[in-house]
Amino acid sequence: MAYSDKVIEHYNNPRNVGSLPKDDPNVGTGLVGAPECGDVMKLQMKINPQTEVVEEAKFKTFGCGSAIASSSLATEWVKGKTVDQALAIKNTDIVRELSLPPVKIHCSVLAEDAIKAAVGDWKKKKGVAAPATETATAQD
Amino acid sequence: MSVTQANATTSSTCWSCRAATAGQHFCPACGKIQPLPRETDYFAFFGLPRKLHLETAELEKRFHRLSWKLHPDNFVRAGEYERDLSLDRASQLNDAYRALRDPISRVEYLLAREGMRKEGENKQQAPPELLEEVFELNESLDELRSARQAGGDGNAMAALRSRLEAEQRNFEERLREVDADLDGVFSQWDAAIDAGAGEAARKKLMIRMNELLNRRSYIRNLVANVQRELGEA
Repeated sequence: MAYSDKVIEHYNNPRNVGSLPKDDPNVGTGLVGAPECGDVMKLQMKINPQTEVVEEAKFKTFGCGSAIASSSLATEWVKGKTVDQALAIKNTDIVRELSLPPVKIHCSVLAEDAIKAAVGDWKKKKGVAAPATETATAQD
Repeated sequence: MSVTQANATTSSTCWSCRAATAGQHFCPACGKIQPLPRETDYFAFFGLPRKLHLETAELEKRFHRLSWKLHPDNFVRAGEYERDLSLDRASQLNDAYRALRDPISRVEYLLAREGMRKEGENKQQAPPELLEEVFELNESLDELRSARQAGGDGNAMAALRSRLEAEQRNFEERLREVDADLDGVFSQWDAAIDAGAGEAARKKLMIRMNELLNRRSYIRNLVANVQRELGEA
């Protein structure tokens, strides 16, 4: 199967490969996978707690070229966006940008899921952290 | 092939003598070969119940009998329409046999037909507890790969190798576990078919089988990757 130029470009020069400290309260981690091809994708975002803007994004994907390109593009797109704007990214946007063929659409779905999972993880951390600070101030 | 004729006869009456055919390969009244119904069920094609513990010997017997009966050589003197039908059925026979003879492709076929395994945009759910492990093992494989490319030092490579070998044994064991679990659900499914179980009971079993197949495809891919990497190292 032939990959589009954009997929090849992201595959050869993936943006933002790496990882962020998982235990940092401002870092959200999304780990998702597609059993049909055995791909696994990790996407992390460092989110500013005041502005809710994504300051940094990293990914690591074990999978085909389309999965790598989809997650590479996703990290580029979320950077500088607010959490809500990042959540608004749809897999169809990725399909269009990378000209993914129908058999590779699930790769873009995976990237969208990874963004949602990372935000979900961040919100969970924030939710857990928030009541703790509340109790702390109540005791003061 | 003559499309109008085929469409007109996809119902279960013989295209030639109008007798009821009940979806059989040949008309029970006049013996003419029949067109394939629009949606052929592979189990029905072999006249077998939709069970997952198929007797391979029985399937093979039916396959050979049908290959002989449906073979295009038997229709060289028949009309063009019947020759086309024999080609259709003979190629369907091969697809059906390929799908049913292996237990994993058999259950995949069943689930796909029941709309339980959707590919592409309708994604499959990944087993969450496995993902973490899959990711870590892939990272170790990556390490081994880069260490080898860098011509890395012997001790580090050996340590990495033995860790991966341990992981390989671990995942091979897990693959056996999944296969045993699947086998157990196959038995439950077969019992449900025998008992004429309702939609809800069957659906529950299919969901379980789907989960197990998803686990299995991850583990199988990992085992294959580790084997390949260790083979090269």
